[in-house]
Amino acid sequence: MDAAINRFVFLLKRRGVRISPAESLDAMQALTRVSLCDRDTVRAILRCTLIKDVRDLSLFEELFDQFFSLPKHARSAEPATGLPPPPETSLQPSAAVAAPEAAGGRPDGDHAHEDLLDIRDYFDESQMATHFNAHQDPDDFSLAEFGQNLVLSRHRELLDQALRNALQLLKAQRVKHAHRAGELNFDEAVAALDADLIADAVTDLLDELSDTDLDENLLQKLSARVTGGIARLPELLKRHLERELALRQESLPTTERPARSRPDYRFTEQERRDMTEIVQRLCRRMRGARSYRRRIGPQGRISVPLTLRRNMKYEGIPFQPVLTRYRDEKPRLAVICDVSLSVRNTARFMLHLVYNLQTLFERVRSFAFVGDLVEISAYFDRLGIDEAIAAVFDGSLLDTEVDSNYGRALERFHNRYLAAVTPQTTVIVLGDGRGNRNPPQVWALEAIRRRAKRLLWLSPESRGSWRMGGCDMPLYEPVCHQTEVVRNLRQLGQVTESLLRRSVVRP
Amino acid sequence: MFESIEQTIARLREQQYICDRKLATVVFLALQMRKPILIEGPAGVGKTELAKVVSAALGRALIRLQCYGGLDEAHALYEWEYGKQLLYTQILRDKIGQLFDGVDGLHEAVARLNLHEDVFFSERFLVRRPILQAIDSPDPVVLLIDELDRAEEQFEAFLLEVLSDFQVTVPELGTVTAKTVPFVIITSNNTRDLSDALKRRCLHLFIDYPDERRELEIVRLKVPALRETLAEQVIAVIRRLRALDLRKAPSISETLDWARALVLLDADALTPALLEETLHLLVKYERDTQRVSEQLTWIAEPIQGQSVPQSTTTTTPTPLPPQRPAEPDAMSLEQRRQEHTARYFTSYRGRTDGRTGGA
Repeated sequence: MDAAINRFVFLLKRRGVRISPAESLDAMQALTRVSLCDRDTVRAILRCTLIKDVRDLSLFEELFDQFFSLPKHARSAEPATGLPPPPETSLQPSAAVAAPEAAGGRPDGDHAHEDLLDIRDYFDESQMATHFNAHQDPDDFSLAEFGQNLVLSRHRELLDQALRNALQLLKAQRVKHAHRAGELNFDEAVAALDADLIADAVTDLLDELSDTDLDENLLQKLSARVTGGIARLPELLKRHLERELALRQESLPTTERPARSRPDYRFTEQERRDMTEIVQRLCRRMRGARSYRRRIGPQGRISVPLTLRRNMKYEGIPFQPVLTRYRDEKPRLAVICDVSLSVRNTARFMLHLVYNLQTLFERVRSFAFVGDLVEISAYFDRLGIDEAIAAVFDGSLLDTEVDSNYGRALERFHNRYLAAVTPQTTVIVLGDGRGNRNPPQVWALEAIRRRAKRLLWLSPESRGSWRMGGCDMPLYEPVCHQTEVVRNLRQLGQVTESLLRRSVVRP
Repeated sequence: MFESIEQTIARLREQQYICDRKLATVVFLALQMRKPILIEGPAGVGKTELAKVVSAALGRALIRLQCYGGLDEAHALYEWEYGKQLLYTQILRDKIGQLFDGVDGLHEAVARLNLHEDVFFSERFLVRRPILQAIDSPDPVVLLIDELDRAEEQFEAFLLEVLSDFQVTVPELGTVTAKTVPFVIITSNNTRDLSDALKRRCLHLFIDYPDERRELEIVRLKVPALRETLAEQVIAVIRRLRALDLRKAPSISETLDWARALVLLDADALTPALLEETLHLLVKYERDTQRVSEQLTWIAEPIQGQSVPQSTTTTTPTPLPPQRPAEPDAMSLEQRRQEHTARYFTSYRGRTDGRTGGA
């Protein structure tokens, strides 16, 4: 029983639900308090002990149904099992045949650098969300059931091995295309190659499976299904890529790179002075949250207890009133900055802004991203402005040559650095919102907004072009508290004037 | 103390609170495990009410702490009564003088005073605020911490000691441990996320709008004067209203208000005209009113057709309103932004963000 719960918790965690050990202990303890004959009671108990966020409820329900249901095959095979089935059932098996989907769904070489484990994670999820047959017939043979049978027949290690071989083949193929990451077009030759390879991989897998002494019928059934799928796979892949290509071509004119790059990132004295002045003004405008404790000061309201106490020496006659008031805490900032090529000419300006923010505000954490997201606070603290900005651009921190991926950056930020955002934090995103057709992951931005005091988005692009060509700003904009166009010092000055005057609402 | 889940349901029903098994399970478990319950859900579904009926069903006193921005320990826990201390010192001046009769030397005087030092920092001069009351009470109580999301995050942190160990530390007196474990119920309207540490210490309960059958039961129980057919119509209309994308969907309390209003108006049956006249009892925002007016014919369907025959036996899936023609660009940005805000704080449709988890 405990193992089953543990496994269930593990699966929930893998899907992004935050569960602490204390909570799983609670769940196990709670289960001992009632009789377990009733499914809904168990559901209610696990729900109230494990899930603490309403947004996770639907996920929990889905997973509970999947996890604590007896699969049909297993029931006939092992009718004696009273408890939930061995939890492994939902994990391993599907990966084998989910492979075509994984490759078909993301044919842009994205996975090139991810290791085997990551790919398998992806498969598990696609199985559990039953997305795996998106490119096949919707009422396809249930792979999960097949997998459960595999597990029940205790051939896990064999399956595992077969799987690993197949995946390594796939992985090798992906790596070959790594250099395409920054390019825009796809050609169909690659599509055909991919499909062939996947077909090979699946065949290999089937071969290896047939070596094991599995149920013959089952194997035949599976292979029939898979062959059907594979026959159609190249065609499906092709169609997908064509669609992708059409999208790319549409967006081609607007996503072109700035022709010139600036090798020299140095700033003139005047620029620095202006920037510092503007950021100082910004700093004064921005107030932090109202602090919790009152402070004694020359202004405010009379505090009766403190006054009485201080005036005890005058026999309680209040000669010296004590005034207290709430004080505003220093604002905290988290800055997320796009430094990709497409915003290179403004990125320099943006980083200058970030650098100044970091020196003038007390608690600033800054992050830069292109494809991946890294924290740059430490560099900005340690180095001078010119060295720091050069360090970001010369590619030692992160690869600046790839396309910017806002969705991934936001997701990374959400997964790794969300703790940097507290209700006192103002989050500033600097970038044009052009995610190059990657999933925009608006949910991550929403999650950030929910935690943050305020979410500002400063874009270097004029508002008119937001709707054109692959720009996700229309999606991001309503989520932010405020969005502004800032391209140079003059605009920043204007925005500073209007920005925080109306934006910071005192509680 | 409740003996089983079934008994919990029955005892709460005696107090005119109709709940499902899920809710009863959580209440039962919380009592058994001595853990606080954290209740979330839209406004008006009976979160606070639950605390009241539990205290009535258990025969325990209810101590309520209403949270608000700026709430601090002095209002939640305890406060020293400086005025009283001062007054006592003044009045007892003679007595204190007598204390030093026959004392020679300052040392001896201080030593003698030292014996009585704790008089002025004793529990006598402590004003007990709700949490200390609940901890200190000789009989077990129900402690309701209402709308915790309104208080600051620091206050949550301060609650942690109380919630996990049921004890409170007063620097001058030491740690006060609960004589009897209070049954703690915390409610939140989810205007902000509560801290993970707090959530970890609680059992989490999410109360949503009840299903059709249960809501009908509630209306019958609370407004017995309402005619049977009318009650069914009321529920059908309310359910359609909830299916609309409203900023504030009508909750149970609004249903009951409306039902009572209909009794007062002595209505025989709901008519579209009557519905329109009493709409302001159900819909509280201007924009919502507009939206409802647009869909009025669809909402009034269950009234006009003498249908909804199966409503008493089975729960029909929530009906969906006819789709309006899409008008994405017509809405101003400001409006969309407001909707976003509203959606965070009022709707609980689960994870609609298309997230599939994992990295």
